[in-house]
Amino acid sequence: MSAPTTRTVALSRKARLATSLLALVRLSVARTFTPMLAAAMAALLLLPMLFAFAWRANIPSDADIAQLLATRLDQLILALATPVTALLLGTSALSAEAEDGTLLYIVTTTTPRWWIAASRVLFAATLAALLSAGSVAATGFITSPSEDPANVIRAFVVAAAFGGATYAALFTALALLVRRSLIVGLVYVLFWEGILSQTFPAIHYLSVRQWSLAIAKRLTDAFDASAAPGPSVRVAIIGATAAFVLAVVLGGRKLHTPRITRIGT
Amino acid sequence: MTMNGTPPGTPLEISGVSHWYGDVVAVNEISCTVSPGITGLLGPNGAGKSTLLQLAAGLLAPSNGSVRVYGESPFASPGVYARVALVPEREALPGMMTARAFIASRAALLGIEDVRGATQRALEMVEMDTAADRRIGGFSKGMKQRTKLAAALVHGPSLVLLDEPFNGLDPRQRLQMMRLLEERSHEGMAVLLSSHILEEIEGVASRILVMLAGRLAASGDYRTLRRLMTDRPHTVRVRSSDDRALASALLTSPVVLGLDLETTGLIIRATDYTSLARALAPVARAQGVSLFEVRALDESLEHVFAYLVAR
Repeated sequence: MSAPTTRTVALSRKARLATSLLALVRLSVARTFTPMLAAAMAALLLLPMLFAFAWRANIPSDADIAQLLATRLDQLILALATPVTALLLGTSALSAEAEDGTLLYIVTTTTPRWWIAASRVLFAATLAALLSAGSVAATGFITSPSEDPANVIRAFVVAAAFGGATYAALFTALALLVRRSLIVGLVYVLFWEGILSQTFPAIHYLSVRQWSLAIAKRLTDAFDASAAPGPSVRVAIIGATAAFVLAVVLGGRKLHTPRITRIGT
Repeated sequence: MTMNGTPPGTPLEISGVSHWYGDVVAVNEISCTVSPGITGLLGPNGAGKSTLLQLAAGLLAPSNGSVRVYGESPFASPGVYARVALVPEREALPGMMTARAFIASRAALLGIEDVRGATQRALEMVEMDTAADRRIGGFSKGMKQRTKLAAALVHGPSLVLLDEPFNGLDPRQRLQMMRLLEERSHEGMAVLLSSHILEEIEGVASRILVMLAGRLAASGDYRTLRRLMTDRPHTVRVRSSDDRALASALLTSPVVLGLDLETTGLIIRATDYTSLARALAPVARAQGVSLFEVRALDESLEHVFAYLVAR
């Protein structure tokens, strides 16, 4: 224990950003992919595929496959698998780090706080988008392997990616702001997105699921034209952008006074 | 920067700082400075040591007063971490990462140009280079402590705040860590070291801060503090060729407050050491008694701490 270290703090901002982001992603990966979390996400994303095998065997010959797929992909993926996967991705790393105190090793560095918040938001958003889109594509392929009726699979791939990313941004901010973010997030998914946004049309404009459906509706004709119109794509994009900006700004501010449970034992 | 690479100014200056958690006062009107060298931070559990370290590291804003690190407020100023490092007591580390990847990540977040080189040097410094590519999850407590220290020292900070850094280390590792901290402090690093292992603080700290119930009970060199405790008699054990004769002769000395003849020698309680030392030799000579051993029994840091806590 004797060799002295040397201080070399002289990087260009661009190089600094690249190395910091890489380090933050490595730390996120290490904290996110615990065996239990990976198993939970795999189960969530594989479930619609298992259902797809059952549907395929029972689809009547005169059924409108496009409409059936639109309904099932909305109910199973947009309403359940996507938000819960995003919740797990958005909250797991930060909550665990705040709880066991390892967040300290990230916030006691010279990296600007908003870089840390932005990297966590982007990491969770990218993964949630990819996993949700992958689940939609696989479920769609299993249900209808030979064609994409009315472009419904493509529409839902885009919608699920959009929804996954937006949910992940919201839940990352939630993990920084509240102590029991997983429970709060689940309550939000079940009551706000699952019940209230379905019951009260006014809430459509504040629902990530409805924003995602707006994207899907723009890309496919599989939806019933007589159904309630819901928010426009413009509202969806503005809402998602607001969610991302809010997550980065609030997250960056919150990281100045991180909610580290204790630094002692 | 000064000649030895440390920034100018006082490393840590705490002025009238208080911090409340709701209705609970964790730190109450504390003022102190930490200069280059090792300063020990002592206090029983719940005294406010960890809160003081968090305030010093800028993780908490003081409810009252000011904290200055090299003249700047550390709160909400990430730039301050180029000079400051905090080693928390908790041993939690990302278990899925290797020690090398973890320290390299911290080095990158600290903006170090040669991340690989700095990581290797930090690992070698704490003798973790041979285990560096193993996952932290499989490490012993001592290895985790050394990994935490390497992560803190990777950028060569000039102020290091350590919360119980010796926990879990074996005696050899403790000695090595103490030597490392001593070496770095001789190079100009300021260390604020919280520990409940008083012998270790006694061995390395040139100065102590004693916290009791959120307040600063005493600060300075502990030997000086002991001498200032005039309400506590100083206890000395003397072994001589005739303890009984020496005891009879000392009874009339105004310096001596009490005597006990024990099998291990003569226990003398005196008003102060210097006066006793001056009185003892002439009395022994006059009685024809040879002195074999004169040993202060309550001048250790442990005694100073116990006296302060008992007040």
